[in-house]
Amino acid sequence: MLSYALRRLLGLVPVLMAVVVLTFATNHLTPGDPVGVMLGDQSANKVLEAKLRSEYGLDQPIWRQFVKYVSGLAVGDLGLSYRIVGAKVTDVIGDGLKISPVLALAATAIAVPLGLVVGVFAALRRNTLADTGVILALTMGISIPNFAMAAYLMYLFAVKLAWLPVAGWGSIAQAVMPVGILAIAPAAYIARLSRTYMLEVLQQDYIRTARAKGLRERLVIYRHALRNTLVPLLTTIGIIFGGLLSGTFVIETVFNIPGLGRLAIQSIFARDYPVTMAIVLLFTCFYSLINLIIDVLYGVIDPRIRLGTR
Amino acid sequence: MSATALEPAVRTKSDFWPKFRRNRNAIAGSIIVAFVVLVAIFARVIAPYEYDETDILFTWAHPSAEHLLGTDALGRDILSRLIVGAQVSLTVAFAVLGITLTIGITLGMIAGYFGGRLDAAIMRTVDIIFAFPEIIFAILLASIMGPGILTVIVSLSVVWWPGIARLTRSLVLQLRTELYVDAAIASGTPPFTILLRHLLPNIVAPLIVRASIGVGFIIMAEATLSFLGIGVQEPRPSWGGMIRDGIVSLRTEPYLALSASTALGLTIIGFNLFGDGLRDILDPRIKDR
Repeated sequence: MLSYALRRLLGLVPVLMAVVVLTFATNHLTPGDPVGVMLGDQSANKVLEAKLRSEYGLDQPIWRQFVKYVSGLAVGDLGLSYRIVGAKVTDVIGDGLKISPVLALAATAIAVPLGLVVGVFAALRRNTLADTGVILALTMGISIPNFAMAAYLMYLFAVKLAWLPVAGWGSIAQAVMPVGILAIAPAAYIARLSRTYMLEVLQQDYIRTARAKGLRERLVIYRHALRNTLVPLLTTIGIIFGGLLSGTFVIETVFNIPGLGRLAIQSIFARDYPVTMAIVLLFTCFYSLINLIIDVLYGVIDPRIRLGTR
Repeated sequence: MSATALEPAVRTKSDFWPKFRRNRNAIAGSIIVAFVVLVAIFARVIAPYEYDETDILFTWAHPSAEHLLGTDALGRDILSRLIVGAQVSLTVAFAVLGITLTIGITLGMIAGYFGGRLDAAIMRTVDIIFAFPEIIFAILLASIMGPGILTVIVSLSVVWWPGIARLTRSLVLQLRTELYVDAAIASGTPPFTILLRHLLPNIVAPLIVRASIGVGFIIMAEATLSFLGIGVQEPRPSWGGMIRDGIVSLRTEPYLALSASTALGLTIIGFNLFGDGLRDILDPRIKDR
C-alpha cells in the first residue's frame, strides 16, 4: 500500500517537471519585453532599466534564470509580478488564495449531497415520469455552460426579482448565486453517475440476498446499495475538481469576485505572465495531488483493486 | 476482457433504425443538431443583416419586426450575429474534432498495436496533458499564442486528442489478441494494412460515440474561452463573446445575453442528447468519460 502511494508520488515528478518547464517557457518565450512595459515613459532612464533588469534577474542567461525559478519554487518563491512592479507574486495572489478555495469547497459541499440524493431518487423510480424529468434536468445542468446559466439567474434574481446582489464578494447574499451556479454542473454530473451506479448495484446478488432475508427496503438501499455506489463515485471527484477549478475562472469573472481565476484572466490581458503562470502552476499541482489522493484512497476502500497491476 | 464484449450492440443498419426510433433522446437531439447544422451552413444566406453591420443611431434596439431580437451596443442585428455565431461555433467544433480524431486515433493505434517504447512515449505525453485541468491548459496555450480563432482550435485540439488516443489504445489492446489479427500477421499482412483494414473498422462504433459526446463539450469549451476574452475575437461573433458583452448590460438590455445563452445552451443540449442516444444505441457499455 505504502509502496503504491510512494510510486504514485514519484509518478507525479515528471508531470510537475513538465508543468514547471512549460510555465517557465511561457514566461520567457512570449513576445515583448516586460521591462520595456514597466518603464513606460521612463524608457530613456538607463539606470532604472538596469536596476529593474537585475531585480527581475532578466540580465542573467536563460539557464541561470531557470535555475533561479526552480530553486525559488522549492522555497515557495514565485518571483516578481510584471504588472505591479517589484511586488512579489505570492503577495499578489495571496488575497485570491483565500477566496477561490472557499468558493470551490462551498460548491462541493452543496453538489455532493444534492447529486447523491437526486441520483438515488431517480434510480429508485426508474423509467417513471419523475425519472425522465430528472434525467432531462440533469442533461440541462451538464449542458448549459455556467456563464449562460449565470446570465439567466442574474436576470431573474438580481434584475427582475431584486432578491440578490448582481455581483461582488463579502456577504452571504453575494455568495449565493456564484456558489449555487458553480454547484449545478458537478451536482448534475454526480446525480447522473450515482443513478447509473445505483441501478447497477441494485441488480447484484447481495441485494437480492438482503431482500430475501427480509431486510427492510430502507436498510437495503442505505446500508447495502448506497455504500457500494459511493466507491465508483469517488474516482469521479478528480474530474469534478477539474471542472470546479475551471469554473472559478468563469464565475469569478462574471460576479467580479477577486479570486485566483479572475486574477489569472486579468493577468493574461496585462501580460503579467509570472502571476498567470503561478496560478496555472498552483491549480495544476492541486489537481494532480487531488487525483493522487483519490487513487490511493480508492485502493484503500476497494481491496478488489490490485494495486500496481493497472 | 474477451473480444465478444467489444462487439457493438448494433451490427447492421436494419438494427439501428428501430432502436433509434424508440430512443426519444436521440430523436430530440438529432432534430436540434440538424437545425443548428443547417443554420450554420446557410448562415450567410438566412442572416437578415451582415453580422458586422453597425448602426450607431440604432443601438440597443428592442425586438421589432426589423430586428427580431433587437440590436447590440453597436447597433448590430443580434439575430444575424446569433446565426453567424452558430457557424463560428460549429466550425471550431468540427475542426477540433477532425484534428483530434486524426491525431488521437493514429497515435492510439500505434501505441496499442506496437507497444514498447513508442507506447510509453505516447502515453507519458498523454499523462502530462491529462495532469492539467482542460480549460487551464487551454488558457496556458492561449496566453502563449495570443487570442483568436486559431488559438482556440489549436489549444482545444492539444487538450482533446489524449482522450481519443487513450480510448483507441485500449480498444486496440483488446482486439490485438484476436484470431483474425493473428491470421493476418501470419499471412504476412503489413502492420499498416492490419491497422487500417482489420482493426479500425472494429473500433469505429465506440469512437463515433465518443466523438458525438465530445462535440457538445468542445462547443462549451470554445464558448468559455471566447467568454473569457481569449477565444474568438470581434467583430466575428461568438456566442460566448456575446454573452460576455450582454451580461455587462443585463439590467437594461437583457436580450443579447439571454438570446445568446439560449442558443448556446440549446445547441449543447442537442448535441449531448444526440450523443447519449447514440451511445445507448451503438455501445451501451461506454460510461461517462
